[in-house]
Amino acid sequence: MRSEASKGLALSAPASLYVGALVSIPLGILVVYSFWTQTYVSIDKTFTAVNYREALTDPLVRHLLVRSIFIAGMVTIATVALAYPIAYFIAFRTQKKTLWLLLITIPFWSSYLLRVFSWKLILGFNGVLNSALLSLNLIDQPLTFLLYNELAVVLTLAHAWAPFAILPIYVSLQKIDPSLLEAATDLGLSPAESFFRVTLPMTVPGIVAASLIIFIPTVGDYVTPALVGGSEGKMIANLIQVQFGAANNWPLGATLSLIAMVTVGLVAILFVVLATTAGRRIR
Amino acid sequence: MSDQNIIELKDVEKRFGSFVAVSDLTLSLKQGEFFSLLGPSGCGKTTALRIIAGFQDHEKGKITIDGVPMKDIPANKRPTNMVFQSYAIFPHLTVFNNVAFGLRKSRLSKAELDQRVNEALDMVELTGMGGRKADELSGGQRQRVALARALVMQPKVLLLDEPLSALDKNLREAMQLELRRLQQSIGITFVMVTHDQYEAMTMSDRIGVMFEGKLMQVDRPEVLYAQPCNREVAAFIGGMNFVPAELIKEDGDQLQIKAAGFGTLNIDVNPNVRERGSALLIGVRPEQLEIAATKPEGYDSTIEGTIANVAFYGESVHYYVEVEGLTDVVSVAVPNYFHTVDYKSGDKVWLGLQNSSIIDLGKG
Ligand SMILES: Nc1ncnc2c1ncn2[C@@H]1O[C@H](COP(=O)(O)OP(=O)(O)OP(=O)(O)O)[C@@H](O)[C@H]1O
Ligand SMILES: [Mg+2]
Repeated sequence: MRSEASKGLALSAPASLYVGALVSIPLGILVVYSFWTQTYVSIDKTFTAVNYREALTDPLVRHLLVRSIFIAGMVTIATVALAYPIAYFIAFRTQKKTLWLLLITIPFWSSYLLRVFSWKLILGFNGVLNSALLSLNLIDQPLTFLLYNELAVVLTLAHAWAPFAILPIYVSLQKIDPSLLEAATDLGLSPAESFFRVTLPMTVPGIVAASLIIFIPTVGDYVTPALVGGSEGKMIANLIQVQFGAANNWPLGATLSLIAMVTVGLVAILFVVLATTAGRRIR
Repeated sequence: MSDQNIIELKDVEKRFGSFVAVSDLTLSLKQGEFFSLLGPSGCGKTTALRIIAGFQDHEKGKITIDGVPMKDIPANKRPTNMVFQSYAIFPHLTVFNNVAFGLRKSRLSKAELDQRVNEALDMVELTGMGGRKADELSGGQRQRVALARALVMQPKVLLLDEPLSALDKNLREAMQLELRRLQQSIGITFVMVTHDQYEAMTMSDRIGVMFEGKLMQVDRPEVLYAQPCNREVAAFIGGMNFVPAELIKEDGDQLQIKAAGFGTLNIDVNPNVRERGSALLIGVRPEQLEIAATKPEGYDSTIEGTIANVAFYGESVHYYVEVEGLTDVVSVAVPNYFHTVDYKSGDKVWLGLQNSSIIDLGKG
């Protein structure tokens, strides 16, 4: 047992050191910065919680945080809802699993920025969608609600994150023994009932994993909202980016980062608890 | 058991591509019967069971359960329940919720549901285990949960696919008796698939022996053992010495034959034999042969041989005897009484045989 444990430690040591160095140290620096303050050109290194007071009372911060969580939540829901049927298809309805798994990684073969730009091209005022609708005489004027808003951000991110949601859900579906579904049928359940009483509760871990993988990075995304979000689609990370850039207020940026991180952490924990409890209640 | 037929299968056929998995399956089962489908691996037993359950479609034939044709009735609406080979216990549910699974649809009151689940758990001797998770159960307990989960639905027919094959030998034997007792006390028709002849014989009212998708013989265990219809069935059930023979004369229910090694014999016609020619095959069960150091008295025929091999089985000893005129060694099983004379390889022995214990197996 002892050698097993030490072997485990040895095996995880490189990863632990890596994480230790590349996460803990920057995080520590961030914490320290958040208690300093920015004077005109230099940093005042006396410890104070003034940044926290400022950030937590600023309605803009609260507004952006709520919106970020809302958008990330929408992205997560949309992505998981899209990914689930695809994962289901690959797990149960096709023999060509490897081919399909390869196909879903195709978006990664081009850069993320290019993908965001292509959404701009599709959704824009003179974009593909508007031109198509115009030439089909379905609309008289280009639609303006397509781009530069929350919808565009959700759409772009859901597309970008889909593979990350498909994979964990696929893995959890793959683990379901087909005889369990036959047993459910045998006990009188229709296919839909079997899905809700066997497949869904058994894939809760996959759904939770997919949701966290999408939700956490999405809250902090600033590229997508900057490119397709307009002013209506701005998120907390855009504000943080400004602090480290144009506004040149690193301490406030650090504070905002930490507040966002803690909020996301709490929301994530709440979600995991709710989802697993809900999954356990299905019988 | 009543005289009423609960299941009728008529000319059922199932193909996978051009491969015929089940063909010409015709069978009637009585209400309350314990029926076993016995056959080697890949002969189509599971396929046949799944066709009855409705999990597998079939190209030809007709299935009726309790007088109702099953043609357009999907698996979830059939009056059958199944105990799966892997047990298929829902891993995300407790034992109680596994057993209650099918009942939840029927909108029973909570008290009624609790009562029925607990009765089912009592029946399979899992009283008080309702709170356990599936992964906290032993193989035997999982098997009981699967059984309770199916029985609680009060099916007209319970289908069991090798329900005991995952258990160790002692537990398996205990469960054989228990399953049989349970079946008799609740009076539901059981259809069990197995490749274990002993299991089939100890538990069943009747056994259907299947080879390559075809049902070869359906009979009570004693009849299958005493009068198998051909070489394949005879070889599959119990040990058997096969001896080629020639038909000399057929006389009513008697055959006069000349058997290799044994000479001229008069034997009974086996009514289950379907094909007969001048070349014939006879069978002798190893325990029906007498072995002696000197020529034994009072037997219809006696032959001399040499012991080639001895195998000790605990409750019996098997001697493999070389006999002139026979290519295969003759196996003789002797109960392991204390007074048994021990023979060893190379010993000269005599074998004694009664005509009544020779089985006519038809065409050779
Ligand atoms: N879905 C399928 N597609 C193609 N062939 C199949 C399918 N299911 C079964 N078979 C074939 O049909 C034959 C009968 O299979 P079946 O599972 O009924 O055998 P079995 O008698 O239950 O064997 P075992 O004792 O090994 O469980 C086998 O040769 C098998 O390969
Ligand atoms: Mg089988």
